[in-house]
Amino acid sequence: MSGVTPVVFEEFRDLRGVVARAPPEDRGIPRDRVRLLVSDRTQDHHRVFCDLPRLLRPGDLLVVNISATVPGRFPAQGSPGSFLLHRSTAFAPDLWLAEPRWSASRPGPVPLAAGEALSVAGVPARYLGAHPTIPRLGWVRFDEPPDGRLAAQGEPIRYGYVDRSWPLDRYQTIFSRIPGSSEMPSAARPFTPAMREELRRRGVRIAEIVLHTAVSSLELADGSDGSVPLVPEPFEVPSATVAAIEETRARGGRVVAVGTTVVRALESAGAAGNLRATAGFTRLYVQPGRPVRFLDGLLTGFHEASSTHLALLGAVIPKDRLLRAYRTAVRAGYLWHEFGDSHLLWSPRDSPAMNYGS
Amino acid sequence: MNDRLTSPSSGPVALVTGASRGLGRVIAEHLSDRGYSMILTARGAEDLAQTVEELARRTSKVVGLPGDVTDPTHRDRLADAVHHQGRLDVLVNNASELGPSPLRPLRELSLEDFRRILEVNLLAPVALVQAMAPELVRVCGRIVNISSDAAVQGYPHWGGYGASKAALDLVSRTLASELGPEGVAVVSVDPGDLRTTMHQAAFPGEDISDRPPPAVTLPFWAWLFSQPNERIQGRRYRAQEATWEVNL
Repeated sequence: MSGVTPVVFEEFRDLRGVVARAPPEDRGIPRDRVRLLVSDRTQDHHRVFCDLPRLLRPGDLLVVNISATVPGRFPAQGSPGSFLLHRSTAFAPDLWLAEPRWSASRPGPVPLAAGEALSVAGVPARYLGAHPTIPRLGWVRFDEPPDGRLAAQGEPIRYGYVDRSWPLDRYQTIFSRIPGSSEMPSAARPFTPAMREELRRRGVRIAEIVLHTAVSSLELADGSDGSVPLVPEPFEVPSATVAAIEETRARGGRVVAVGTTVVRALESAGAAGNLRATAGFTRLYVQPGRPVRFLDGLLTGFHEASSTHLALLGAVIPKDRLLRAYRTAVRAGYLWHEFGDSHLLWSPRDSPAMNYGS
Repeated sequence: MNDRLTSPSSGPVALVTGASRGLGRVIAEHLSDRGYSMILTARGAEDLAQTVEELARRTSKVVGLPGDVTDPTHRDRLADAVHHQGRLDVLVNNASELGPSPLRPLRELSLEDFRRILEVNLLAPVALVQAMAPELVRVCGRIVNISSDAAVQGYPHWGGYGASKAALDLVSRTLASELGPEGVAVVSVDPGDLRTTMHQAAFPGEDISDRPPPAVTLPFWAWLFSQPNERIQGRRYRAQEATWEVNL
């Protein structure tokens, strides 16, 4: 399986949300005061993110991704001259899958030859060749593992809609602990330490997974054959999280995934049918027709029509319901992308999209 | 073409069987790209020479030894090449015998053909491990045995090949138990359907262009050869599956 045929959400193509071009705190809005659209089975409710603890009940469980964002954007030199190298995934300390680009707004292809010598922020490396099914990505091997030498030279990856560089802390959440994501797992971005304390007081538990994100390269989502290219990403669902989810559900609590990365990690760990502690790499693609099994709600941002994220949302709530929520969000001026507003989707228990098993 | 590596290796060494084309060649290219000294073998001398020549453009550390892995004399030559290196970090048992094409039901598979399948797919990998175990143990190396979904499915006409791979899977698990305490990891990998000469032989005259080229497995190899031994020990992987799990 090199790619899967995507469910295309054609009806969403005409929806144009306003894009957040800067972090909220740099637009004068505290992190936890971004807007929160709450979509339950029938209705959309306009809230502010800091209302979240009061939307949850004692015994509910939030599952968060504790992967921290690493600087992934590096100046590089090769036979075509100067270009940008976006680290996608470190397979080994000396082996990256990476995306050569011309700039934040201008993707490749950058014509590199297999075997040619590169300099990545001054560190010698070699371009090994293109990824077999995602030609915009290629393998880069460093002559020596670069470790800390590179980190200081890099910036967070950004795309054209973010027109300046922001410090790395704008790309971390209060849960970020294990460095490895090339793009911020942004759903947890609005959480603050005060909110975490309030959740604890209310009896809402928090469990953790790790999924280190690869590049998303929004403008180039589709594979050459129309399939969705699947980039393998490192993930881990620890046994404590499996136990927390099982306990929550056994007691009638609700499990809320904070971010699409959490859904992918849980679905990967439950691929055999029952959820169990799992680590490895996954390129599981979650979309309608492949029901999500281990959650009752999803906290996320607003996603592009062409993105695989949107298809994943369609596996959580019915597509028509999602479309209505997105129309509401567009009309009400919600902000899109990683610095934008938040969206809480409740998956109705009797929805055909849900399969609770036993 | 080099037919002898000039000095013992201070870097990692890999031996890939059936390395001249298809899947074996993809694995050989990847390990070569990662700085391994390569010992390649395959029956077809011409194809092998060409693969070695192309790899030699990217690394000086490649040697090709044409021959049949069921031939003890040839295995001695391979073992000599490994002894000369003084270490074996990766052994990939990829060379496989499909049996007569077109494939036929078990009741029509001659025992002579079946025996040949078992010789190539089951006994030769064991013999190579026996011959090279000290060099594998010395560097806590790893053994990758190439398997197949035919090893678990019972497809009609695939009985000979499937039985050999099912037995190889058990050999992998047994070796993992036996060599694990000595630091050697053993895994079994089902690469999935691929557009290869062997797959075409299984479906003579059929269009197999819907199968992906063997390079589609490259991300899996990049991942597998990046994992510490204890994380992959004893596992069976499907290279084209959505998730690759490690031991916790």
